[in-house]
Amino acid sequence: MNGQTAQLIRAELTLIRRDPLVLTFVFVFPIVTMLIIGGAFGTQPDSAFDFTDPSHWYVASYLTVVIGAIGLVMLPVHLASYRERGVLRRFAVAGFPRWSFALAELVVGLVTTLAACALLLAVAAPVYGLPALHDAWRVVLALALGAVCFIGLGVLLGSVLPSARSAQAVGLLLFFPSFLLGAGGPPPHVMGSAVRAIAVPLPLTLLTNAVREPWLGLGSATTSLVALAALTVLVTAVAARRAVL
Amino acid sequence: MCGEHPPGSIDRMRNTDVVTVRGLRKAYGDRVVVDDLDLDIPAGQIVGLIGANGAGKTTTVECLQGLRKPDAGTLRVLGFDPVTQAAALRPHVGSQLQDSALPDRLRVAEAVRLFRTPHGRDGAELLEQFGLAARLRSAFASLSGGERQRLFLVLALLNRPRLVILDELTQGLDPAARRDVWAAIRQLNEDGTTVLLVTHELDEAESLCNQVLVMRAGRLLDAGAPSELVDRHAAEATIRFSLPDYPPGMLDSLGRIDGVRSVNRTGKQVVVRGERRVVAYVCAAMVACESVPADLQVHVPTLEDALLGLLSGQVTPSTQLAGARA
Repeated sequence: MNGQTAQLIRAELTLIRRDPLVLTFVFVFPIVTMLIIGGAFGTQPDSAFDFTDPSHWYVASYLTVVIGAIGLVMLPVHLASYRERGVLRRFAVAGFPRWSFALAELVVGLVTTLAACALLLAVAAPVYGLPALHDAWRVVLALALGAVCFIGLGVLLGSVLPSARSAQAVGLLLFFPSFLLGAGGPPPHVMGSAVRAIAVPLPLTLLTNAVREPWLGLGSATTSLVALAALTVLVTAVAARRAVL
Repeated sequence: MCGEHPPGSIDRMRNTDVVTVRGLRKAYGDRVVVDDLDLDIPAGQIVGLIGANGAGKTTTVECLQGLRKPDAGTLRVLGFDPVTQAAALRPHVGSQLQDSALPDRLRVAEAVRLFRTPHGRDGAELLEQFGLAARLRSAFASLSGGERQRLFLVLALLNRPRLVILDELTQGLDPAARRDVWAAIRQLNEDGTTVLLVTHELDEAESLCNQVLVMRAGRLLDAGAPSELVDRHAAEATIRFSLPDYPPGMLDSLGRIDGVRSVNRTGKQVVVRGERRVVAYVCAAMVACESVPADLQVHVPTLEDALLGLLSGQVTPSTQLAGARA
């Protein structure tokens, strides 16, 4: 990695830290909603939650809320704002390597994911306890694929939406249904068949299934994992081209 | 590179040219913004690119910077093709873009660190020179319009570029800051850097530029030193004065001065029109007649006068340039 790329990554990490939207949506929102929803359903195993502790169900689900917030809200707004204001053109004429910005966004997305997930687990541990990991490698693999997939989605949205305002509007419109249907809302067993049919193919649902089931020992979620992997390859290939300076 | 052009045209580019453009064409959909444009920018000069809004100046510059791909034409900037060799070219070019910004929360010192390459100049020295040394910890969003422009200039000059492209350089600057920036541009040019200045400010072009390229409707309308353009397009000076009594024969003698085109008297006021050099002869004649008016007004044409007519006139670019080169 050359010096300019390293400088750009460093600057982007610094700037993300100062962004109130990131603080609100990526760090605070998942923790607050996890505490509320986790507390609402108590800690007694329940059939609606595949006979697991509901609070643990939500702890295992909310890491993906962080990933969804980064991919559907944080990155689209960040990138669209840069494009709208000519920041990317300035990077381009200053001679930053063509792939440096794409790489910077990947690193920023992954570092933010790690930090926000660590904070969420640190808050969840003393309140609800952390559920035991039944298949740690599968969980880590799903989280890694999901993080890259949603970073790619974020870059893609940010590169096609015309302004930061439109990116925020579209991002929130995508995020909240995905959040409610696929990660932090009611469990699938209590949803009606029509709603469940909508929820199943959503990228955030695929990711949440691929994380939650091997984590809580409910299954391997291989179908979700394979679908997520395919989506990750597709989205990353397109997003990488769109983020070239 | 980007379309066909007559064979050998690139060979006719001069070795001393930093930028050579032949047959550049760029359209957005059906709208042709730059049309068969030829231009040369010699090394070591400050060259102004001027024209009305929509003349194609910024698109031309963006093609030179490799930000836009031309539909046709041949471009060389410092010997590089800006489309296929952008990565090799960009470290040698300092750019201040129109309508661009930095991230709102990026601080001044961080911006300098981010854009400085290992062989770049001392950022602190440049920040001091442009009056930003006290704003190191200020976020970009908190800077005034003038401070932002000065920061862009610092970033454009940071890496010892051989060519500096400045698009609307002094937009938003107060008069004192403009003068400071002009002085910095002159200093930069004296140090050997070629400057391409895209501007609407004709006094800026007249003050700074060795050569001015005038664009209209995507084509080069005329080119030359500011004084040459004034001579070609606004050669007439105007002298106005009034006297309580005119000595007999004075106005006739003014009318006979070589270069005077007209002498018109309306009541007490007289208007003399003619070539710029007649100003001295008319004033000398009045002193000789011991009739020195208290309200003497002299208007010597400027680049603005020259270009107002040129840009709004009916003359076609090809006709005008043929006349200019003859």
